Amino acid sequence: MGTLLLLATEASAVHSELAESGAEGGFGLNIDILETNIINIAILVGVLFYFGRKVISNILNERRLKIEVEIKDAEQRAKEAAAALSDAQQKLTQSQAEAQKIRQTAEENAQAAKEAILARSVQDIQRLKETAVQDLNTETERAIASLRQQVVAMALKKVESQLQSGVDNAAQQQLIERSIALLGGNS
Amino acid sequence: MEMLSVLNPFNSLPLASLEVGHHFYWQLGNLKLHGQVFLTSWFVIGILVVASLAATRNIQRIPNGIQNFMEYALEFIRDLAKNQIGEKEYRPWVPFIGTLFLFIFVSNWSGALIPWRLIKLPEGELAAPTNDINTTVALALLTSLAYFYAGFSKKGLRYFTKYIEPTPILLPIAILEDFTKPLSLSFRLFGNILADELVVAVLVLLVPLFVPLPVMALGLFTSAIQALVFATLAAAYIHEALEGHGEAEHGEHMP
Repeated sequence: MGTLLLLATEASAVHSELAESGAEGGFGLNIDILETNIINIAILVGVLFYFGRKVISNILNERRLKIEVEIKDAEQRAKEAAAALSDAQQKLTQSQAEAQKIRQTAEENAQAAKEAILARSVQDIQRLKETAVQDLNTETERAIASLRQQVVAMALKKVESQLQSGVDNAAQQQLIERSIALLGGNS
Repeated sequence: MEMLSVLNPFNSLPLASLEVGHHFYWQLGNLKLHGQVFLTSWFVIGILVVASLAATRNIQRIPNGIQNFMEYALEFIRDLAKNQIGEKEYRPWVPFIGTLFLFIFVSNWSGALIPWRLIKLPEGELAAPTNDINTTVALALLTSLAYFYAGFSKKGLRYFTKYIEPTPILLPIAILEDFTKPLSLSFRLFGNILADELVVAVLVLLVPLFVPLPVMALGLFTSAIQALVFATLAAAYIHEALEGHGEAEHGEHMP
């Protein structure tokens, strides 16, 4: 422990001494050319600059060129993409307009077709009605005609039968003579 | 003491001397801070901040100059993180790993490329911040904290199952790993940078001109590699904490 303390005190003494000497020595320039090794360092830096400069500038130029090309490429692609986008948008609006037009014409067509169909159906109904009326008329006429015929036929039959049954020879004679007389009377 | 007395004649000669273990102390309460490390750290931080500000001040669509350079650096860091942590989880860890890499890299290179010795300190000398064990230990401990945080935030307390996951026999080793990871991280970086600077300093002391150049170039290379290794290992540890033995668990559940 004692030695340790001794050491500590010694160290602090040395230290204070060092500090004093430092204050005395201070900072300064060492201009001993050989000791500072400045010639060797200068040569080394010179060589490093001479060879390193080329290599580094080559690398950097290549890098710069690559970046430039890449940026140009990217810009080109961006431009192309923008152009394509605007083109597509134009096409979109165009096709939208076209769709609108098609829809409009289709609606118009539909309207026209509807009206035409309506008109035709009205006409059809009219015609149907007319034909129905005509049919009815002809049918009734035909029915009336047939009825008339039937009635005439029935009347004739009855007359014939009456004639055959109810008229004897004398009456016939009388009748014929009356007819002849009528004929003669006329002439 | 005898060794010192042997060395003394050398020191008394009018040769350049090496200073190892001398520090420019700042007293802060009871703490003694290594001032030279702070100064160079601030310098490195300043470089990074200025570079970042300069890169982002006038952002162009097509990067130019410093912006291009910093973007390149960022891409590098991002790829590093992505390769280590994986596509799914890497994004939140890019700042941490990028900071580690950039700070260590710029520190190492500043130590090798900036003539710090031109500036004379009262005591000690300026050098790369990673030259000081405290810096590397701080970075390594931050890495430890980061991977623990990654594990806990991902799995909660189930994170502890990774210690006994394949078999509980490996528990001591798994626990030991948590201590060896920051230890190895910090010592690797510290050792490499300090050794590099010492070799250069010794060579400069012996042959001041031209001879140290190859070693300095090698030092540049190794210090860059060390920055890369530190960042890569930090990312790998974070990945390990995020994944754990997840795949093995899935494999067991499958049948």
